[in-house]
Amino acid sequence: MSTKKGRLTGEHFMLGDHACAEGAVLAGCRFFAGYPITPATEIAERMSVRLPQVDGNYVQMEDELASMNAILGASWAGVKSMTATSGPGFSLMMENLGLGIMLETPCVVVNVQRGGPSTGLPTLVGQQDMMQARWGSHGDYEVIALSPSSPQELFDLTIRAFNLSEKYRTPVLVMTDAEVGHMTEKVVIPPLEEVEIINRPEVQKGDIEPDLFRIYRNSPQNSPGYISPMVKAGEGYRIHVTGLTHDERGYPAMNAEANEWNVSRLMEKIRANRKDIIELETDKLRNAEVVVISYGISARTSLWPIEQARKEGIRVGYLRLITVWPFPEDTISKLAKKVNAFVVPEINMGQITREVERSTGGDARVFGVHKPGGDILNPRDVLAAIRKAAAAVQKA
Amino acid sequence: MSTGEMHRSERLRILNYDTPAVSDWETGLHPMDDLLRGERLPHIWCQGCGLGTALTSFISSLKWLEKNRGWDLDKVAVVSGIGCTGRIAGYVRLDSFHTTHGRAIPFATGLKIANPDLKVIVISGDGDIAGIGGNHLIHAARRNLSITVVCVNNFNYGMTGGQVGPTTPHEARAVTAQYGNYEFPFNLPYLATASGASFVARWTVLHARRLTWTLRNALTHSGFSFVEIIAPCSTAYARWNPEGKGLDPENLRRRGLEVMKHYQKVGKIDHDVHPKDAHVKVNNQGEILEIIEGEFLDETRPDFKEAINQRADLAEKYWLSEKGTLDKRKVLTSRKKRVPRKEIQLGGFGGQGIMSAGKIIGMAAAVFNNLQACFTQSYGPEARGGAAGSQVVIASSPIHHPHLTQPTSMIIMSQGAYDKYVADLAPGGVLLIDDELVTLPADHRKDIKTFGISATKIAEQAGNNRAANTAMLGFWTAVEGIVDKDAMQESIAESVPPKTIKLNLDVFEAGHKIGLTIDK
Repeated sequence: MSTKKGRLTGEHFMLGDHACAEGAVLAGCRFFAGYPITPATEIAERMSVRLPQVDGNYVQMEDELASMNAILGASWAGVKSMTATSGPGFSLMMENLGLGIMLETPCVVVNVQRGGPSTGLPTLVGQQDMMQARWGSHGDYEVIALSPSSPQELFDLTIRAFNLSEKYRTPVLVMTDAEVGHMTEKVVIPPLEEVEIINRPEVQKGDIEPDLFRIYRNSPQNSPGYISPMVKAGEGYRIHVTGLTHDERGYPAMNAEANEWNVSRLMEKIRANRKDIIELETDKLRNAEVVVISYGISARTSLWPIEQARKEGIRVGYLRLITVWPFPEDTISKLAKKVNAFVVPEINMGQITREVERSTGGDARVFGVHKPGGDILNPRDVLAAIRKAAAAVQKA
Repeated sequence: MSTGEMHRSERLRILNYDTPAVSDWETGLHPMDDLLRGERLPHIWCQGCGLGTALTSFISSLKWLEKNRGWDLDKVAVVSGIGCTGRIAGYVRLDSFHTTHGRAIPFATGLKIANPDLKVIVISGDGDIAGIGGNHLIHAARRNLSITVVCVNNFNYGMTGGQVGPTTPHEARAVTAQYGNYEFPFNLPYLATASGASFVARWTVLHARRLTWTLRNALTHSGFSFVEIIAPCSTAYARWNPEGKGLDPENLRRRGLEVMKHYQKVGKIDHDVHPKDAHVKVNNQGEILEIIEGEFLDETRPDFKEAINQRADLAEKYWLSEKGTLDKRKVLTSRKKRVPRKEIQLGGFGGQGIMSAGKIIGMAAAVFNNLQACFTQSYGPEARGGAAGSQVVIASSPIHHPHLTQPTSMIIMSQGAYDKYVADLAPGGVLLIDDELVTLPADHRKDIKTFGISATKIAEQAGNNRAANTAMLGFWTAVEGIVDKDAMQESIAESVPPKTIKLNLDVFEAGHKIGLTIDK
């Protein structure tokens, strides 16, 4: 297998969805299972052409339940895997996203968000699945979700999603949207040598006595957030994994104590590594009176109103959530003690706004700029909200 | 963590298993113990349940394949869903995956495609495989991927207490069908065959030896193999139905055996029957009168992975073609002149290349002139058939807002697009039209600059009217001067089909020439 085979580099004028596919290919994704759905279809289309060129496999499944399961299976065969969908398919994936989290399976799920609920607005933008990304599957767990605001960043964050999923042995969500996915811009694809690629910690044939191997090993020093090495099928370890509450060996353990061990493990590995996982972009937070907190396309369209407000003399800071989950509540909580108000523009009726409110603990006022799906936010509405926030603060 | 069970290695140490003088019998080991997770036993199944026999047949077939066919059992993976049968994955000492309800088959699909060296077997119940996972069964069969699906059919949902299911015989009873089942069951071998499986068989657990042989055949079959195993549910199903009638409800073992006796009575081996006729015949009380068993289908067809591999050359060809285009790319000098935000609206009807024209402009700006460019197209039902629209924003500084706020430039190639877009153009903006396709009305805007060429005619004269959009692009490049001419030429050469590059560049040149003569 030639390692250079099918390797794309250089500058391209590329559709966001295609950039996502190229990011995946560069990150080492060699298995894609999916089901056509607007506006994510172009990711599948590109993968169906590209994967066979790099000795990978594309399979179009019968639905999104199957797609999600197929990528889990492929990941346990030792292959980096991905699926891509939009709202209705994302709902179907929730069942087995939970399985992926429970089995501690690296994989990437892309949601090119469109307007909802239900079939909603297939071709038009929305950011209405942000809370579903966090809480959509049943039970307690933590999740990693990233939010890009351009095709180039969709490319970059798809690579990062694979790296995080491999590092933390968990599904990672790329929560993009119809606007970014269907936008064509310049995308620079660097040579593989210049990109950081992380591969899962893995035990291979002969490393350990199979009887002593623990697929969900506790950390040697009980250090929180320890990621136990994985083993793929066929290595002679005769592993067992189950969606049931399980012990270190992956065997079912049906009691409250085991559930506490199991759930804590899933949550702690994300929580203890928040510093590494959370990525934020900030601008002029020092001395800011109002801070705009946003993500994805809404963060990008907030930049013009921020510039305008600054011209008007309002001290506006900017905080972009590149990582939306886990939520940077510590950062926002600290910031709330220094600034007077937050403005949170998003294409939904206030999902991340609630998280910001929760994080401020009442120390700062929060003004959401909300509308359901269909169009990107009007920059003038964001500008109006910044002005309102600044005025409300002065009055107080 | 500990479940309180003794680990096998500890048990063996206590039993001094390492000492060769101690026989398997003395250690309490079964000859097939190395394929069972002893530390997980005893199993959860009821006395008289058929699953133990099904499991024995399965691991016997593996043992045989290991011994006689040189199988490396490290390469065997078992995937199961939820339910009584689903627990098999937890008892076999093989790589084993206990997934969600109904989803074992797609999980196995991913496992097998990603590593074709694995032998992947799905073992799950009838509710799991034919009920909640029925869609996955038919599609996996259709793909003819080389996995084996073993469906243990006990005619009801056992683990949850015996509810009616997709295989419960008509008029049989269940907890949720106490007045008799008014639905009709699947004939699973027929369903699998019709869906595209290339190996299909059915046995009851009474026929354990034949079942073992069949499992060997299924496991070595190339393509999708499906084996239905009919097994007694001594607790739930037998309680409600004639097969277990009059038997002591406490004596499950006896009840299971009575059902097995019944299978002996009603089982009929017929390998040659069409799967359509491989029935489980019942009377009007739901009592089973006949079960047709055998290996009904064994065909050789290319499996899924072979079908993929056959296309490897084509994938390589596509790649070389894409790479060839990119390798030919020239590096142009970045545009030095600063470009303030420019918004370009393109409009026409489907088939005129409105999308590709917009993309060509964007690529010329972004890739060859090193400007910022953002290209979007109008999606949605309104964009189909009638007016097609695409938009490009070009600027030297980052484009925060990707949509047009007020277009400064328009390329319009149909009357419909003119009607739709012209009012949006900024005062003083430039409107370029194909003047044979757009008739300006008497009240046409006076506050904009309007220029027209016969783009479609130019393209027709060059030999292909589909190149009309490149004539408009040439015209636009000369009139607007936002993007350099050579950048546009490179962008066209990279975007159009290789055979039409020269034609398109000629048409572009013709449009450009006229554009230079325009008095702005």
